[in-house]
Amino acid sequence: MGAVAVAALAIGGPGAEAQTGTPVKVGAMLPITGAGPIGEAAQVGVELAVKEINAAGGIGGRQIQLFMADYQTDATIGVGEAKRLVHQEKVELMVGPTYSQVTLAVLPLLIEAKIPSVNVSGTEKLTPEVAPYSFSMLANAEAQAKKMVNYAQVGLKAKSAAVISDAGAQAKTAVEAIKAELAARNMKLTGVQDFQYGAKDMTPQLLDLKRGNPDAVLLFTSNGDDTGNVLKTLGELGWDVKVSGSYGVALSAPALKIAGKDAFRNTTGLNYNGFSFCQGQPISDRFKDFVTKVRAHKPAAADRLPLNYLSLWYDAVYILKWAVEGTGGKTDGPTVAAFIEQNAGKFNGINSGLAANKQTHFLIGPDALAVVHPDKLGEGGIQQRTGC
Amino acid sequence: MDELVIILVRGVGVGAVFSLVAMSFNVVCNSSGILNFAQGNLLVMGGLCAYLLLPGDPEPIHWLVSLPLSALLVAAFLALQGWITLLPLRSSVEQHSWLITTMAVSVMIGAVILVWQGPFALNVRSPFPNFPLFGTRTPMSYLLAVACAVFWYVVLRWFHSRTQTGLAMSALSQDLDAARAAGIQVRRLQILSFAISGLIVGSSGFVAAPVIKISADSGISYVLNGFIAAVVGGLGNNLGALIGGPLVGVAAMFAAFRFGGQLQNAFSLALLIAVLMLRPQGLFGRMAARRV
Repeated sequence: MGAVAVAALAIGGPGAEAQTGTPVKVGAMLPITGAGPIGEAAQVGVELAVKEINAAGGIGGRQIQLFMADYQTDATIGVGEAKRLVHQEKVELMVGPTYSQVTLAVLPLLIEAKIPSVNVSGTEKLTPEVAPYSFSMLANAEAQAKKMVNYAQVGLKAKSAAVISDAGAQAKTAVEAIKAELAARNMKLTGVQDFQYGAKDMTPQLLDLKRGNPDAVLLFTSNGDDTGNVLKTLGELGWDVKVSGSYGVALSAPALKIAGKDAFRNTTGLNYNGFSFCQGQPISDRFKDFVTKVRAHKPAAADRLPLNYLSLWYDAVYILKWAVEGTGGKTDGPTVAAFIEQNAGKFNGINSGLAANKQTHFLIGPDALAVVHPDKLGEGGIQQRTGC
Repeated sequence: MDELVIILVRGVGVGAVFSLVAMSFNVVCNSSGILNFAQGNLLVMGGLCAYLLLPGDPEPIHWLVSLPLSALLVAAFLALQGWITLLPLRSSVEQHSWLITTMAVSVMIGAVILVWQGPFALNVRSPFPNFPLFGTRTPMSYLLAVACAVFWYVVLRWFHSRTQTGLAMSALSQDLDAARAAGIQVRRLQILSFAISGLIVGSSGFVAAPVIKISADSGISYVLNGFIAAVVGGLGNNLGALIGGPLVGVAAMFAAFRFGGQLQNAFSLALLIAVLMLRPQGLFGRMAARRV
């Protein structure tokens, strides 16, 4: 599908014909081409939410007219597509994009047009000053750092820790937050190392950290490939250290392929609360319903898509619906953003416990994250929480 | 001390891949003056062949059968690339259109991999067990990459000194016009040199597949480090390439160990600058005579 191939859908349900008024134009900026299962998951999440909302009567009685734009993971194409959605299609609400560099590139257009949006990007540059009408569904670096250090100290009883991360912008922020959190908890920092995205062999970095003899390693990665390569190298070096990892560490499918299940013996990661479970306890009905709905909507694709990621896009559409209805049908950026800032904690979606305010527009705070065993999978790929 | 030996062994393994890219550079450069900047992505193409040809849990027999196939596929592709690259040129040195065409091929290979396989790295499992080293396990692919580099060095040395075609190819590197005047079929030999470089990167990408990054965006790193290895060793000199690659690999690994992972590439480039300042012709290169 090319950049210009756009789906303009008014997905009608049983109640569609009963609706009056003009439709709400919603833009969805998705990396459909070139991002593999992530792009497809984003598309399925948005389509499913729109289909359900329209079937249930739309947003405040107005059907959603969905305009999808494939930016192919490219910021330049993203800006062109955003211009089309804003100026030509005149969308009122936006979900996406998901790559930080694309999100930062299209934000000025959205701000100028006062369009409220929910993206799935993790860069710390997305402050309320930079993105006053935009919110993020991705767990931010600081929230992850706090959770990782807390687990190292409380769960692993570590008194010292070393840090290894990728060299990306989000990881840099996370490492600084980890350092601050370690200092606040009187834990000793024995070493810091980083690696380029996609590095295959982290031997020198891990040998360097091993010299510090830390009780635990704090691993911040942004994807499962890097996680797999770090854990594989750890195994090759025979270093049997406990690892407290980030959300990237919980993206276990590629990591398991690279490093194998045994590599996760001493490793935890972070996942959204809704995508974790306790052995012996029933899985939440909300999650089971969600899996059932995804399977009914895309039977062939449901089992190979990352459902936690898919849910972020699904919830993004529902957050905008909830906010527009909460403001009496207003779709302008300032009004919708103010509503989300004041009421984020009350949103009852697949991912709950959201926490935006005037200081941060990252909806996923530490309380929305769970420490999980990335290799212990349950129904629909959810992961077992630690300590249960 | 153990740590340094581990870094040395793995650095030599990583560097052997750079050596192979450098030798591949040399083969084409010596016969045509062209630096094929697609070599990095062609190495990745060799890795892609391993990903596509080998089963998820391969046996050594699968590996042995697929290795020559991978080398031949990439060689065929490179022969075609060579023909297209050389098409607008009379003898390949008086124009610089190859700069654009080789880079364009590299970009196209990356784009095709991106659209076909997505942005994530593809992983290949080795059929051979890791070998022990000071209490650690080291991937056999590193040893195989070193063996591959030595193999191609010996083969190229024999080819260029003992076969008529190889000698004719060596003549091209000395004087294209004289070689043409002597009746050597220059264009045919140049395309053959592209194919031979394809055999080298196709086989090395396949052999090193478990330890290299196989993705749409990884070619640039291999072409850069391969080029550094070629220049450090002396452009056009295969012994220099054989030595230069491990130098770059060990230096990069040591830089990560001592100063942090982000400085790996910077350290390699610093090594390049240092060699160019102290010995512009590279460690094993010869100063070219200049007409005054």
